[in-house]
Amino acid sequence: MSLLRQCLQRVPSLRPFKTNVCKTSIRWASTEDSDVKPETRPTVRKPDLVIRSQLKDFGKYVAECLPKYIQTVQITAGDELELLIAPEGVLPVLQFLKDHHNAQYSNLSDIAGMDVPNRECRFEIIYNLLSLRFNSRIRVKTYTDELTPIESCDGIYKAANWYEREIWDMFGVFFSNHPDLRRILTDYGFEGHPFRRDFPLSGYVEVRYDDERKRVVLEPLELAQEFRKFDLSAPWEQFPNFRNVLPASEPVKPDSEKK
Amino acid sequence: MASQAVKRTIKEVKPILSVDREEARKRVLNLYKAWYRQLPYIVKAYDIPKNVEQCRERLREEFTKHDHFPDIRVIDMLVIKGQMELKEIVNVWKQKGHVMTYFKDSLEPKPKDFLSKFLSGKE
Repeated sequence: MSLLRQCLQRVPSLRPFKTNVCKTSIRWASTEDSDVKPETRPTVRKPDLVIRSQLKDFGKYVAECLPKYIQTVQITAGDELELLIAPEGVLPVLQFLKDHHNAQYSNLSDIAGMDVPNRECRFEIIYNLLSLRFNSRIRVKTYTDELTPIESCDGIYKAANWYEREIWDMFGVFFSNHPDLRRILTDYGFEGHPFRRDFPLSGYVEVRYDDERKRVVLEPLELAQEFRKFDLSAPWEQFPNFRNVLPASEPVKPDSEKK
Repeated sequence: MASQAVKRTIKEVKPILSVDREEARKRVLNLYKAWYRQLPYIVKAYDIPKNVEQCRERLREEFTKHDHFPDIRVIDMLVIKGQMELKEIVNVWKQKGHVMTYFKDSLEPKPKDFLSKFLSGKE
């Protein structure tokens, strides 16, 4: 069935074809009940179903290989594979993905962070990997809080050095065994970690030139105005077009009948 | 309720550097000594309008300000940040203004009684 669907996806003109017998009726090439409409808008990217199924298989395979660390495997945005792992498993999972013959994710594209203050472990650390051999990308997500260190993956990917410094600078997540962990984006004397949600927009300190002392002074910020809270919620629905969007991520379940 | 409290106190956490209080204390003392020994060089290199005695007082004040944390991980994190600051100073990545920030000498004391508040135009 999926093969047929692929064929139809490749040749969009084949999809509905009219018979010569009856001009008014449209016979559909596939008999599946299609409650999910095929994407026809030209500006929206259509996920490749072959790659999608391959990624699903690969996700299942990795989850079988490393059951201790991998908590969830999911597909997001149509065809992006994500592994959600425990923070203890950062090094083993990344080493596996880099060195395994069927993965070869030898390129660390980026490390990102995310702050959700109402979670128990408020920070998410997101590793984006690229396999040049198989032209494939994967995303590895883990979690931590302000005081729990994460193992530095500098020994596996040299590119992680600056990315981890950036995460340390912006979020204040400590990376243990990092060779040179220090600030990278903020100025010396800067206070706080700017990407944390509780960091105020204006920061904690301000810098100005003092004419009396003939030098730059750094002072705690004082706002002339009190903090105000705006109620921005509108009584009407703001995004009606997004009422029926598909879920952001789709979990990949392991094959249970294999056992 | 009591069992919950007990559970919370024995919750297992991953240590940052130190595994017990004694080790954390040693780290703090080491950091203090490193700063203390560096102070004469800081005064000389940065040409700040303070003498070594004043710097020592300020250093002691800064360490005693944070002497009440029960969590070892918080102590470790403060030690790590203090170590980074010291490195920034030793390598002269910071400048004179950054060093003088520790003394907060450009801050004028906030007006407290009515008359000084009135004169400064706050009320």
